[in-house]
Amino acid sequence: MSTLLTIPKLQMSTTEGTLTEWLVEDGAIVEEGQPIYALETDKSVQEIEAPASGRLTQKVPADETYPVGTEIGEITPA
Amino acid sequence: MQNDTAIDHDTLREIYRQMSRIHEVDKAIQSGLSSGKFQFTYWPLTGQECIPASIAPLVTNEDHMVTIYRGIHDQVAKGVPLKGLFAEALGRVDGVNKGKGGSPHISDPSSGSMLTTAIVGAGAPIANGLALASKMRGTRAVTIVNFGDGATSIGAIHEAMNLAGVWKLPVIFLCQNNQMGEYTTIPEYTASKDFASRAEGYGFKGAILDGNDPVAFHNGMKSVIDEVRNGNGPVFVEARTIRLGPHAGVGDTNHLSKEDLAAAKEAWPVPRTRALLLEQGICTEEELADIDSAAKAEVQEAVAAALESEVTGEDEMLLDVYADPSVVPRRGQREKRAQEAPHKGETREMAMFEAVQDAQELALQLDDSVFFLGEDIGEPAGGVFKCFKGMQSKWGERIRPTPIAEQAIIGAATGAALVGMRPVAEIMFCDFIGVCMDQITNHAAKQRYMSGAATHVPMTVRTIAGGGIGGFGAQHSQSTEATLLHYPGLKVVYPSTPTEAKGLLLSCIFDDDPCIQFESMMLTYALREEVPVGDYRIPLGVAKVKREGTDISLITYGWQVMHCLQAAEELAKEGISAEVIDLRTLLPLDYDRILSSVEKTGRALVVHAATEFCGLGSEIASTINEELFGKLKAPASRFGAAYAPIAYSKTIETAQIPHAGTIAARVRELLK
Repeated sequence: MSTLLTIPKLQMSTTEGTLTEWLVEDGAIVEEGQPIYALETDKSVQEIEAPASGRLTQKVPADETYPVGTEIGEITPA
Repeated sequence: MQNDTAIDHDTLREIYRQMSRIHEVDKAIQSGLSSGKFQFTYWPLTGQECIPASIAPLVTNEDHMVTIYRGIHDQVAKGVPLKGLFAEALGRVDGVNKGKGGSPHISDPSSGSMLTTAIVGAGAPIANGLALASKMRGTRAVTIVNFGDGATSIGAIHEAMNLAGVWKLPVIFLCQNNQMGEYTTIPEYTASKDFASRAEGYGFKGAILDGNDPVAFHNGMKSVIDEVRNGNGPVFVEARTIRLGPHAGVGDTNHLSKEDLAAAKEAWPVPRTRALLLEQGICTEEELADIDSAAKAEVQEAVAAALESEVTGEDEMLLDVYADPSVVPRRGQREKRAQEAPHKGETREMAMFEAVQDAQELALQLDDSVFFLGEDIGEPAGGVFKCFKGMQSKWGERIRPTPIAEQAIIGAATGAALVGMRPVAEIMFCDFIGVCMDQITNHAAKQRYMSGAATHVPMTVRTIAGGGIGGFGAQHSQSTEATLLHYPGLKVVYPSTPTEAKGLLLSCIFDDDPCIQFESMMLTYALREEVPVGDYRIPLGVAKVKREGTDISLITYGWQVMHCLQAAEELAKEGISAEVIDLRTLLPLDYDRILSSVEKTGRALVVHAATEFCGLGSEIASTINEELFGKLKAPASRFGAAYAPIAYSKTIETAQIPHAGTIAARVRELLK
């Protein structure tokens, strides 16, 4: 079962987030808990960890701002 | 960290198993939030796992717990079912509270997790009530109330500690000192060197324990719990730990320097306890892996089941506000409720304060779970309004004079009511409701709804409205019912006669929702009448026609009933026939009798002593105008107090609150 990645709502006030950087290559194998991208919301940057292990597919480019809930990638079992 | 010699190996293994469960829950929430699969606000507990995990083997589900929005670790260790916990956090029907409370408002009586508050510090007064119920019932249960170091600054904690000390309640104030009050560090918010030493000032013991060391903390708590269980009164425990996450959100805190964060992670009890079990040869790596994978599997199963559960739907919206959904006021609804049967039995002449005392005596006789608490209600005072004369020597600890601490009073009533007692609190003047507003409106009123009816609060508050006499000043004279009517979950009654004060109070005491009875100072001694003797009740939500008329309906309550009756008498001399309706109960509101009267008269004026602007009169008048538009001879109107604090000058007070003369004048205008 694949795991969808969407822009998370980490604070009550969050409505959008900037995907400042993908920390792993598109198509790379990631381990659960490994930081996979950096997200800037409400002026603080946070590294988001992989919620599951598998192959990461990036669906959107970095350095852009997206509303909460936007699908940005997917992790499929490798 | 202490070595294993001081603890039974099975206990330490069990503590680690709870830590592992908490950690897996924390991980699952953070991962769900990070991936965007979950969307809710999370206040991470990361770093504090050891505290509830070490307590779990020392308590049973007979022992009560109160915690806060960050207390997911407390819930997990207390035994709240994980499926219900996740479903609740996701707002689903299978949540422990039907998805109506959410993670910051868990109540699960089956495990003893009685109430979770999102108002910092507010759990402590309620924990006192749970402990008081245990003490009065003679059980050996203890209540543990969890809160953060940040909560030690708020008044509710101080009022609660003082009351627990003087009543020697079996309660443990468990301050999980995680070094951070939301986003503010300790030196920024207090000059105190520690928190535990404050307990000494309230006359009981405070202890500082290492909340990151399972052996030391478990052993420390064991003696604290034993002491409290044995009836030695409360203990304040400062459990030192460190919060590794942010106030809200996921990941690491950004309040610690890189070095401090690394050191804090080094001290994190989850991996350290695991390592200790290995080092001491208590568990093999395989056994520990089994514990971890069992916890992970339990959590995965719970998350999957929670996600399968439906999001709680709109059909639940008006359920659990009250036990009976027909109490909820809805536009166009005319609930028909039967009037009380006429009393044919014995009567005795009483003033309102005597009728109230008569009801109180009866309630105590009828039900062992009834007790009274309030300022000065003991002897010799017998209550500032003399409603408790001689009762303390007769009823002992069921008449409980309190410190001057309204939050502590309402909290104790709420907590005791949560476990089935029927407490009745006296709040001396209704202006003082402001002092305990949070306890009444955020806790007592909302608890049934927030818990999806897993709990409810059958408590009653009596309070005096001091206006209409003059000379009490702005802080002892306002009629404050409108503020309370704005909080769904409360029932409000406002009698105008001794008989009704007795009949309504008895109905309130035996009602399963929180009720507030307003009594008017102006009537409490002045008005005397024959009052039914014995168990006499007036159903809630039933208005009464006090004078029949055909030209206009005067809809009123409390001491304004008397003014409206006088106005009607005066108007009758001019050939104007006014009907006077005494609402008696303001919520549930008797729209059926209100509308029936106005259908007959074609005109209506709602009269009350409370401020006219945004008062109940506006609500009733607009409903009449909407429902009976085509049948009205004039628009329904309202008449309340002028928009000013009640003045000390009797001349101003008389002018600013409706009275017979000004009511009659308004009626003449409406009939023009």
